[in-house]
Amino acid sequence: MDRVKVKLLFFAKSREIVGKKEADFEFASCTTSVSILEKLIEEYPELSVIAENVVLSLNEEYLELDNQELTLQAGDELAIIPPISGG
Amino acid sequence: MAADLERLRQEICRREEELSELKQRLADMEKKSVEDASDGTEPKTIHNGNQKLTNDQIGRYSRQLILPELGVKGQVKLLSSKVLIVGAGGLGCPAAIYLAAAGVGKIGIVDYDEVEISNLHRQILHTEHRVGVSKAESVAISCRNLNSSLNFITHKVQLSSDNAMSIIRDYDIVLDATDNVATRYLLNDACVLAGKPLVSGSALRFEGQLTVYNHKGGPCYRCLYPKPPPPETVTNCSDGGVLGVVPGIIGCYQALEAIKIAADIGTPLNQRLMLFDAIDCTTRTIKLRGRQVLCPVCGDNPSMTQLIDYEQFCGARATDKDQEKKVLPASSRMTAKEYQTLLENGIEHVLLDVRLPVEMEICHLPHPALNIPINTVKKDPSALVEQIKRQLASSGIPLDTSPVVVVCRRGNDSQLAVQLLHDSNLNIRDIRGGLHAWARDVDSLFPVY
Ligand SMILES: [Zn+2]
Repeated sequence: MDRVKVKLLFFAKSREIVGKKEADFEFASCTTSVSILEKLIEEYPELSVIAENVVLSLNEEYLELDNQELTLQAGDELAIIPPISGG
Repeated sequence: MAADLERLRQEICRREEELSELKQRLADMEKKSVEDASDGTEPKTIHNGNQKLTNDQIGRYSRQLILPELGVKGQVKLLSSKVLIVGAGGLGCPAAIYLAAAGVGKIGIVDYDEVEISNLHRQILHTEHRVGVSKAESVAISCRNLNSSLNFITHKVQLSSDNAMSIIRDYDIVLDATDNVATRYLLNDACVLAGKPLVSGSALRFEGQLTVYNHKGGPCYRCLYPKPPPPETVTNCSDGGVLGVVPGIIGCYQALEAIKIAADIGTPLNQRLMLFDAIDCTTRTIKLRGRQVLCPVCGDNPSMTQLIDYEQFCGARATDKDQEKKVLPASSRMTAKEYQTLLENGIEHVLLDVRLPVEMEICHLPHPALNIPINTVKKDPSALVEQIKRQLASSGIPLDTSPVVVVCRRGNDSQLAVQLLHDSNLNIRDIRGGLHAWARDVDSLFPVY
């Protein structure tokens, strides 16, 4: 199966947990958003505490969490966006 | 001397409030005299050929009036619009002052809290001599100094399920400038139920987020985040820190979005989320999903038709102030005074400070400390136990008799650390109330942050 390198962008709490803002990560090019989230948590198990409280976006578009097939391209940007509540 | 200083501060504060009241009265009377005149023979506005704006208003707002996008039409809309700002803090201050500058006719400010000195690095409308004054009042005073012709309403209450609907009802647009999760869900639901757009901003450390909820088919907060985050994963400004200009920038954006919605110009940020990263000076705008038909509050068949208990829903208090945790039994704790006695008696011990190195640099106890941040303790407690045992052994001190004392800023993380290191044979205790207690009960010259 084809694998592609995707750029992960961590924001807010996910940045704090993972300890970095960006990382490269390989996914199967043919996948689903649910599977993407699962793979993310496999790689960064500490993210599991906020897994239900994040917005995911792919190339700056909201990524609906479902089992629909989606095709990733090399260089795609996947953002993990928990809400910030401070002010 | 100290009493004199305090008296003088209070006097300044009292007079400032008095002055502010006088200015409001003057503004009200001026407004009334214009209205009276326009009922009579010589309307003040007739000479400018414009029935909608007074000469004063034309003069004041001239630089934005000549923008074709805004114009007289937009300015009239601004002057007749009513905007509510919830939270008179790091976001609310810059938002309020720009709304006042632009001429938003009625500006409401909700905040139950009082000004503290640690607010001033970001809550820029408060002043040194207004420490202890109501934040809502303080914002109103500053805004009135900039533009006395507007109507400022202060709501000196904590927004709650009981008062939210009646407060929001009188406004067209609401700004979420709050600092905690529970109030954010409360405000979202109240705005959905009342049918008001919610301009939401937030900031922490060097990051800011901005969006407009419940507007033109866009989502509400619950459409994006149906479940509140576990309370232990929520970082507030007091623990995480925040550079003042970051909420400053986001608050300005909130004012901008509110002005655009009020004047009905441009493209609002509904169904988009702006992410601001100050440390690299980058912004990204994420296209969001639309309103969710299954959303419990803004969906087609909402299950929530009235406000709920948001502290219960979020499992957290509706405040960003740190709560004192009670994790340990009294036998595993000592007071700051008891630690002072231990020091004075020269009792050999290991002091473990679980704060971040950056906090150690701000201040630390007089005894040398092992500095292991709480997150490192969490990762491998048994390794730390071994390290402590080695340190005790190298000093030739018996394990069970010599105490290990854990300290942090407020006495919450230190309890977690004691709990994590508990299963060992160590005689380990924490200092109740942490460095704050040390400053309060032992060393009045010790800094508090
Ligand atoms: Zn919704």
